[in-house]
Amino acid sequence: MKKKRNLKLGNVVDNGQQKKFRISSVILNIVLILCSILTILPFIWMICSSFKTNAEISALVQSFLPKKIIFDNYQNVLQKFDFLRYFLNSLVYALIITVITIYTSAISGFVLAKYRFRGRQLLFTFILSTMMVPGVVTIIPRYTMMQQLQWLDTYKALVIPSIFTAFGIFMMRQACTAIPDEMLDAARIDGAGEFRVFHRIVFPQLHNSVVSIAIFQFLWAWDDYLWPYLVIRSGDKQMLSVALNLFSGRYSTDYAGLFAATSIAIIPVVIFYLVFQKRFIEGVSASAVKG
Amino acid sequence: MHARKKKYRGGHNGGALKNIVVCSLVIFFSAFVVIPIIVVFIGSFHQWNPLKGEFSFLGLDNWKKVFGSDLFWLSMGNTVIFAAIATSFRVVLGLALSSALYSKLIKYKSLYRILYYLPTITPLVAVTFVWKFIFDPQIGLLDKLLQTNINWLFDSKYAMIAILILTIWKDFGYAVIIFLGGLYSLPRDCYEAAEVDGANSMQRFRWVTLPLLKPTVLFIVITSLISYFQTYIPVMVLTQGGPGTATYLSSYLIFDEAFTKYNFGYASALSFVLFVFIAIMTGISFKVSGSTQTE
Amino acid sequence: MKKKVVSLVLIASLSMGLVACGNNEKKDAVKNAGNSEEYDVIGDTVTYDPNKPVNGGKDIDTEFWYWTGASNLFESLVDQYTKYHPNVNIELVENPYDDYWTKLPLALQGTDGPAIFNMHNSQHDNLIDYMAPYDIPVDDIEAEFTGASGHVIDDKIYYTDYGLMTATVYYNTDMWKKAGLTKEDIPTTWDEFRKVAKKLTIRDGDGNLVQAGFSYNGGIQGDVLGMQYQYGQNLFTEDNQITLNNDAMKEVVNRLKEMYTVDGVCDYNFGNNSGDNFGQGTVAMFLGWGFMTNLLEENFPDTKFDCFEIPVPSDKTPYAYHRYNGESTFGINKNASKEQQAVAQDIVRFFLASDSIQKEFCLANSVFPAKTSLQTDSDLLAIPSIAVLADHIERYIWPGTMPSTVEDNVKIMLEDIFYNDKDITKALTDAENNINEDLKNSNFESQESKYKYADETIKD
Repeated sequence: MKKKRNLKLGNVVDNGQQKKFRISSVILNIVLILCSILTILPFIWMICSSFKTNAEISALVQSFLPKKIIFDNYQNVLQKFDFLRYFLNSLVYALIITVITIYTSAISGFVLAKYRFRGRQLLFTFILSTMMVPGVVTIIPRYTMMQQLQWLDTYKALVIPSIFTAFGIFMMRQACTAIPDEMLDAARIDGAGEFRVFHRIVFPQLHNSVVSIAIFQFLWAWDDYLWPYLVIRSGDKQMLSVALNLFSGRYSTDYAGLFAATSIAIIPVVIFYLVFQKRFIEGVSASAVKG
Repeated sequence: MHARKKKYRGGHNGGALKNIVVCSLVIFFSAFVVIPIIVVFIGSFHQWNPLKGEFSFLGLDNWKKVFGSDLFWLSMGNTVIFAAIATSFRVVLGLALSSALYSKLIKYKSLYRILYYLPTITPLVAVTFVWKFIFDPQIGLLDKLLQTNINWLFDSKYAMIAILILTIWKDFGYAVIIFLGGLYSLPRDCYEAAEVDGANSMQRFRWVTLPLLKPTVLFIVITSLISYFQTYIPVMVLTQGGPGTATYLSSYLIFDEAFTKYNFGYASALSFVLFVFIAIMTGISFKVSGSTQTE
Repeated sequence: MKKKVVSLVLIASLSMGLVACGNNEKKDAVKNAGNSEEYDVIGDTVTYDPNKPVNGGKDIDTEFWYWTGASNLFESLVDQYTKYHPNVNIELVENPYDDYWTKLPLALQGTDGPAIFNMHNSQHDNLIDYMAPYDIPVDDIEAEFTGASGHVIDDKIYYTDYGLMTATVYYNTDMWKKAGLTKEDIPTTWDEFRKVAKKLTIRDGDGNLVQAGFSYNGGIQGDVLGMQYQYGQNLFTEDNQITLNNDAMKEVVNRLKEMYTVDGVCDYNFGNNSGDNFGQGTVAMFLGWGFMTNLLEENFPDTKFDCFEIPVPSDKTPYAYHRYNGESTFGINKNASKEQQAVAQDIVRFFLASDSIQKEFCLANSVFPAKTSLQTDSDLLAIPSIAVLADHIERYIWPGTMPSTVEDNVKIMLEDIFYNDKDITKALTDAENNINEDLKNSNFESQESKYKYADETIKD
């Protein structure tokens, strides 16, 4: 075999090392494949079960593939369960949160990075420390607050307590610090006001952090359960993650229906991720928390 | 637009923009973080039942109850152990798999990435119900796979492990992605230097990669700890804290007291303790990792 | 760029597909065109005149909250009601059972909560302060509904029971036959029961369980809280504190444990849900509440079963066979507007007066009808879990609106005893203390003194 330049490590590989290379390659592949199988096994079981009756799911003698394939579960989900509405609610909520927090994080990060003022460090540390406060601690007072403001059962209650995120501010501040002051000064000399400086010069450069925050926030909002559960009462405003609970009746759970609904719910997210994943990784890597 | 010929100072005052942003930040975090914590603190000294409109001063009773409650110490203990183990596995698995995905010319990288990430993007409630079946001793996949006969959710020895398995399965994918990103961002020259020095891949990993990834690791550790201290749904769906009280976690206890018994005062005291605890743990994490971070 | 377009198209077409398939079932009742028929008055003692207009015939909206699992029932009720009163627009709001009890109290605090809602007496403590009393004379209700007297507070009724539910023993008729048993072998005492259970237990050559004679895996706290009545032991003391650490309760728990550890009729790792396991065909008998009838028929239609009454310690008539719990009638929100409350009252009266609706609800939940006129109804008595109770229904006791802490703590106690091998006396004492601490903060009042045979209780 020709001595080939190893693409990854800039190494020159010789025959002896090649053998080691191949063995470790095999082992690595096995490990990766094993992990993948273990990871998706529950999903395969779930998807197969979504075509079974509840009786078959609870039957003592189990088989992966349904003994009798039924589409009733999916029919039920789309018709009685009003799946599309919950899905769109969650989608819209997650998108709104993502867009808002990207903006607020960016502008806050910028201000905290590029402006000197008294108490700047204090403010930043303060914001950072709020990351340590777990949601469950503040949930009671925040609930009472929503009650008194009469925001219960409105999207205001969902969105407003989340318009700023300490995590996003932290990331953006990192990113903004890296932007050379000269660039900003040049714009200022040209007569740009601070708003312009931020929107025209700084924001476009934050591309990678935007992507990172976008993934983080979108996922978080998509999966958010406790807060929407408490705050949203009307069925038609409810989020998907909470609505899936509707399959739990008083005495029993409609597992088949739940599995069907979940199977549908993950498809768009999977597609979305498949398409954008390269960008995601690039974004995450470029803005990698470097300390 | 008429150019603002302000006297240009190099001090970057920021003017209106800065003021608006700083004010908004202060108002927001005070309203949604500081004030709630104060309310929680005050509430903890009262018998507070919002359904009955009760808010009577109790003095230290709630606090005495908290520290005298076996269930509280048990949940705290469970939560700490749970969070520590789950975080460790998440980090280790994340590092291991991301390195594997990174350093080999493996085909189907994208496929692996999406597969590992799948649990993370699935709603937790749904996934927990799936695992309820998987843990069944008679018809579940886990016992079939391992050829065992363990009653996962009803055996005190294994119930917590079951919840850990679910949690790690759901969250490791996210760590893989984050670490992968971290790996891609590392400078190549360090590696090449190390190789020239004769280091093999294991050593390269330990002495070059790992230290460079430290900030990322810290990030995952801290966000994981904070998140796992609040684990609630798996307990609610799978065990309700059982068998007996073997899987009682702090968050479950708090939520039960608050929204089943409407004992907001006592729940507030519990929450406040949890808060202090997390603050301490986070502080320790920072110290342990060495203060070469932040600035 | 191309990838982006492709994905967007994919997502768009998916959404369109979902829209095409899905169709929103409106939960609002359909308004009828005006009708000018004359309707008969419904009901006997509690009567309802459908001809009397509601809200002066003017349009009015209200929400009606209920929990998941009964949508057809409520839709049927709403349809029948709005047939008489098309000016009333009732919006049915559904919540999963557990969520329901978190959301409802919070909804009732505001001014835009539901005027009428499905109720369960276990939530009495949290909800009673928000409820308006029925404006139907209490005597009328007491005359027609068994158990209503237990719900009278200061001469007012805020809700009562439309059906009584309790536990009976479900047994697999095929397994019964295979074991050589006949109708004569149906046990009436616990000793007989244990013998039968042993006969129904099958193990394989290695001694592993193949068929359990009797299983209570999955939580039997609902029945442990009740079986001690068979010994004349009340659950609560005069100052409304629970007593668990007593001889009767110890007997009950011990017997359960011995059935596994001594008789070997099942073991703690053989299935985790006795009802499901019964349906799956691995368990011959289990103690189930009335709702199991429908559940089994739906999920496990191939399993043939029948019921017999819960066994008692001896041939003497027990103080009580067991406790029952009532399926509650609806609650009326006292914070709703006067007009909406009037509509709610009207709906309640209609619900109570109509035999056919009462029957619908009882059938759906497999509960013994509280309305006396239905207690000889052949359709209802055709259901085994109901028929079994007809003879002794007076010997079932209602302890009162026990707050959730009671069952929750007993569940934990039993899991500790069965799965964690905790000492029984210690477990009973701990549970008793925990519950009593919580009871101190509640307004719970035991209704045991109102039981027909209350004077037969043992005094210690």
